[in-house]
Amino acid sequence: MNIQEIRVTNLHGITDIKGNEILYEIKNSLQINSIDSVKTAKIYRFEGISEQEASVLAEKLLSETIFQKFSLNKPVLSRCDYMLEVAYQPGVMNPEAASLLKSAADLGINTLKAVDSSMEYCLSGRNINTEDIDLITRRLLVNETVERVVKEKPKTLIIGGAPGETEIIPLCSMNDEEMKSLSKDRLFLNLDEMEIIKKHFTKLGKNPTDCELETIAQTWSEHCVHKTFKAKLIVDGIEKPSLMKRLQDSTSQADHPLVLSAYVDNSGVMELYDGFALCGKVETHNSPSAIEPYGGAMTGSGGAFRDIIGTGQGAKVIASTDMFCFAPPDLPYSEVPRGCLHPHYLLRRVVAGVRDYGNRMGVPTNNGSIHFHQDFKAKPSVIVGAYGITEKEKCKKREPRTGDYAVIFGGRTGRDGIHGATFSSGEMTNRTISVNSSAVQIGNPIEEKRMCDALLAAKDSGIIQAITDCGAGGFSSALGEMGQKVGVEVWLDRVPLKYPGLAPWEIWQSESQERMAAAIHPENIKQIMDICKEHNVEATVIGEFTGNNRLEVYYEKQKVCDLDMEFLHNGLPQRVMYASWKPQNIDKQHADRNLDYEEIFIEILKNLNVCSKEPVVRLYDHGVQGNNVLEPFVGENSEGPSDAAVITPVPGKSYGVVISHGLNPVLNKLNPYYGSSWAAAEAVSNAIAVGSNPADLCLIDNFIWPFPDEESLGALDMAVDACTDFVKATGMPFISGKDSLSSTYRSDSGDIIKIPPVLCVSAFGRIDSVNKTVSADFKQIGSHIISIGYNDTNQMGGSIYNDVLCAVDNNIPRVQPDKMYDVFKVLHKAISESKILACHDISEGGAAVTLAEMCFGGNMGADIIIPREEHPEHFLFNETPGCFLVEIPAYLKPSDLFTGIPFVHLGNTSVDKTIRVNQDNKDLFKVNLEELKTAWQKPMREVFGG
Amino acid sequence: MIKPRACILRTDGTNCDLETRHAVEKAGGDAQLVHINHLRENKNSLFDFQLLIIPGGFTYGDDVHSGKILAVELLAFLKEQMLEFIYTGNLILGICNGFQVLMRTGLLPGDDTNNITGTLTHNDSGRFECRWVNMLVQKSNCIFTQGLEDSVVSFQAAHGEGKFYTDKNTLNKIEDNNQVVLRYSTASGELAESYPDNPNGSLNAVAGISDKSGKVMGLMPHPERFVEYYHHPNWRRKKDKPHGLIIFENAINYINKK
Repeated sequence: MNIQEIRVTNLHGITDIKGNEILYEIKNSLQINSIDSVKTAKIYRFEGISEQEASVLAEKLLSETIFQKFSLNKPVLSRCDYMLEVAYQPGVMNPEAASLLKSAADLGINTLKAVDSSMEYCLSGRNINTEDIDLITRRLLVNETVERVVKEKPKTLIIGGAPGETEIIPLCSMNDEEMKSLSKDRLFLNLDEMEIIKKHFTKLGKNPTDCELETIAQTWSEHCVHKTFKAKLIVDGIEKPSLMKRLQDSTSQADHPLVLSAYVDNSGVMELYDGFALCGKVETHNSPSAIEPYGGAMTGSGGAFRDIIGTGQGAKVIASTDMFCFAPPDLPYSEVPRGCLHPHYLLRRVVAGVRDYGNRMGVPTNNGSIHFHQDFKAKPSVIVGAYGITEKEKCKKREPRTGDYAVIFGGRTGRDGIHGATFSSGEMTNRTISVNSSAVQIGNPIEEKRMCDALLAAKDSGIIQAITDCGAGGFSSALGEMGQKVGVEVWLDRVPLKYPGLAPWEIWQSESQERMAAAIHPENIKQIMDICKEHNVEATVIGEFTGNNRLEVYYEKQKVCDLDMEFLHNGLPQRVMYASWKPQNIDKQHADRNLDYEEIFIEILKNLNVCSKEPVVRLYDHGVQGNNVLEPFVGENSEGPSDAAVITPVPGKSYGVVISHGLNPVLNKLNPYYGSSWAAAEAVSNAIAVGSNPADLCLIDNFIWPFPDEESLGALDMAVDACTDFVKATGMPFISGKDSLSSTYRSDSGDIIKIPPVLCVSAFGRIDSVNKTVSADFKQIGSHIISIGYNDTNQMGGSIYNDVLCAVDNNIPRVQPDKMYDVFKVLHKAISESKILACHDISEGGAAVTLAEMCFGGNMGADIIIPREEHPEHFLFNETPGCFLVEIPAYLKPSDLFTGIPFVHLGNTSVDKTIRVNQDNKDLFKVNLEELKTAWQKPMREVFGG
Repeated sequence: MIKPRACILRTDGTNCDLETRHAVEKAGGDAQLVHINHLRENKNSLFDFQLLIIPGGFTYGDDVHSGKILAVELLAFLKEQMLEFIYTGNLILGICNGFQVLMRTGLLPGDDTNNITGTLTHNDSGRFECRWVNMLVQKSNCIFTQGLEDSVVSFQAAHGEGKFYTDKNTLNKIEDNNQVVLRYSTASGELAESYPDNPNGSLNAVAGISDKSGKVMGLMPHPERFVEYYHHPNWRRKKDKPHGLIIFENAINYINKK
């Protein structure tokens, strides 16, 4: 069938934004100077329509004559020295296709069979050589995981294929070597686990189908079952309960009155006000983001949002957060490990993915952080959080009943994302990009948005019995878990597919995005179908909950999977694992750079882990939903960073939600215990700084750890101890969490890179009135600046100060959670009595950076005096959390406000736009605010513009 | 008294609908979220309402051009109704993506629905950006900004395709007709000459325009995000009457008086 091609480009004189951006990257990132101009055109291809109809589409839909021109079945760009077309790989869903089909139908063109769109690039310049073109193509224009260069006009746009067969795997007769090779790159199970499966099937007297084997592998994957976290631990010879049990036990012992559900649902749920419940979930999406950062970050956001939507009987997403760890963006190409992507590219593409998913879904992204460390060059850490609200009476799941239908919603199923659960549980190697490319896909936030709207309408009608998202493991995981206690029968041939040709096991395991599954009573089926139709959402009954405790999957008449739920969910024996962490032998190294105060201060402000992230934050819509009452950047010129997000999720109500987090990729390596308490303390301090009541906060843990060998597991054991000790001391429980234990890179030649262990702690809670919250920008000239909190400023290990001075020391800050809690109580009281004008938590870069940020926000200076007994640099740059700088009005006495906790009256805010530091009646230094700010804002502007 | 009724149009990818409903209700109106499928199937009629708002979002993913797919759909199924709605003196407000839709239907600047005479295209920066902007309210007959003339209002802008662009003739014409309602400015009200005061490179700093009758208005920044004093990023420094609320109150008051 004929394909009509329409090309659209901007008129001469209208800026080609995309072309200019690529030219900029060619010159700046790749340092290639042979290209003078890049022009772009969009190509649309339509199958099944006439040339005349194509011309209607071009005029009414695809181009706007005010600034564009188009061509039909001929080139539109001229005078090119090199021309290149880039399209999605066949089978990767092009999110635009559905819109094009819809619009064509709206315009009365009904014969359209298929459509695709792609980009055309026209490069011009003198002396272009093929080497440069090759580099530009690989590094800038094409991500081969999802895209390809189009060499010739396609003959058809329709993806065909006959459904694949179900295979019987001769497992029962396999030897160890054969089982190993079956597992590798497909099942990711170890030999012991393969042996258990083999025994099970030998007993049954049959060999498993591919579908059965894949189902078991997915259900038993580290990603889904958390084998390590559930393992019995032997730590330095002494047996300890599993990490999971310790975390959960500490939460139940805390017996927090606001907790509604902890560790049982897709997110943790606590009480809000007015009969509402607040839920929070934080996910990692490291493995997909490492190989296709844009799609990986997008689907990470999409998955976290679906966890909220799938909480209880359904919840509305009200906010999202993002925390990333990358190698420095200026890492030389030669240092990027084989099979890994450059951090500059990763950073920009991950940010773009988070931006496009959140912004389009209409979920404000209003809290986050970016951290940099060399050792993330093999794999970044990409952490996405989502928060939501629902009615308290709908915040808990119900069990599906026998006879309920299994209904799926949202996007169609394709071959994308197969093996995500098993793949993300494996280590990253230099083969990862080529072997597992089907594990990544591009998200479609609009699909998720309309599905979310429909499901919330269904929740309001009370017809959802149980709901869950289809994330890792697809239907296999979603229905296998939902039917765990009753049993479920599934008819895979009813699943709507993106294209034919999928084998039954692929349909069953596919991780195509934007799908959810629910249990719905038969008499409510019509109602749910009507709601979905109204929202343009596809919904299909694909199974029934049976009551026979089996997982039975059919494709047409053929039974492709028949498993006992008991074996599937409980057949995996508890692992016994050994752990032992030895402190690194660190030779204490003193500062080897000779810098004065001012130079150190500026070096620290422009350190990647301290510098302003404003250019990134502004790419995210943090105001959508109209609920933001503490923006990420505030102050006279909106340049001062905030400690936490505060939102009013119910319009018109002044009660609020606070969201914050803490993580430090350096400290856990030096000391896993104190590094972890640092993260928890930092998360909570950020929430307290804006006015939270410490009694109204809950926590979420995310452990992103190297593969659990004895040493890493020993570190993990200490990190969990730090968490549970924190809960005991403060009463703040962890109510949701996740572990990702695959932060290890292994190359062919045996090189191993362990990504730094990261614990990210997120804090969230309620605030009775947002009127009683405070921001970090200085408000008044001449007010008091007070430092409060417990610290030992000699604990400089892991600080930015040490980093800048190339000093090494493992004496990291040791938080005392019980004492810190006293500080929280006193500070909260002062804020709630409106006695605090500004408050900012002390973290990376220390009190000096905190002070500078408060000055940037207030657009005013400060004069401070360092106590005589303090080492000035340690005092200025120590990073102990649980310490704060506060601004109080000149007429208040600090001793009246901060009775019972350590405080230092540092000085006053000043009209001069300088920071002046004095000790013992001597001026140590005086520095211009503008100079500090320029240094602090520069690094991210260089990467993101602005 | 019967409250003025507002139709908040939603479809796939609309995402500022709930806060817009809240803004209308706070201003004294009665707002209903109406899916375009309901209008297409005549389950709802535009003529049950006196105010139509096309809220912000990424309708149909902003595929092809921002707001384009919805604009094509509106022209294909609801063009006559919308023209009649305007002709009979009702109000239309397009915010952000809604403004893009109104431009792409030709309902703004408003001469000809068969001919698109202006557009909102990619920001000069090439980036989506979320930041508060100041705008100087121009003298015009626009219902939504009555009483605000010559004052500076601040709203949050959050868009990647907000650069107002048109040819010289059209620009002259809409300026001569006083159809430019809002221009990006500095905090003290001087015309914004460059980024970031003019966040997207709009010609002559145009942030919002109306049709000749003053009853159809579109603007890029979001008035519905400033209907409580604590929505402003610096409310802890200075509390102000929420500027966004005034836009909605003007519409509701106008309908009440009619």
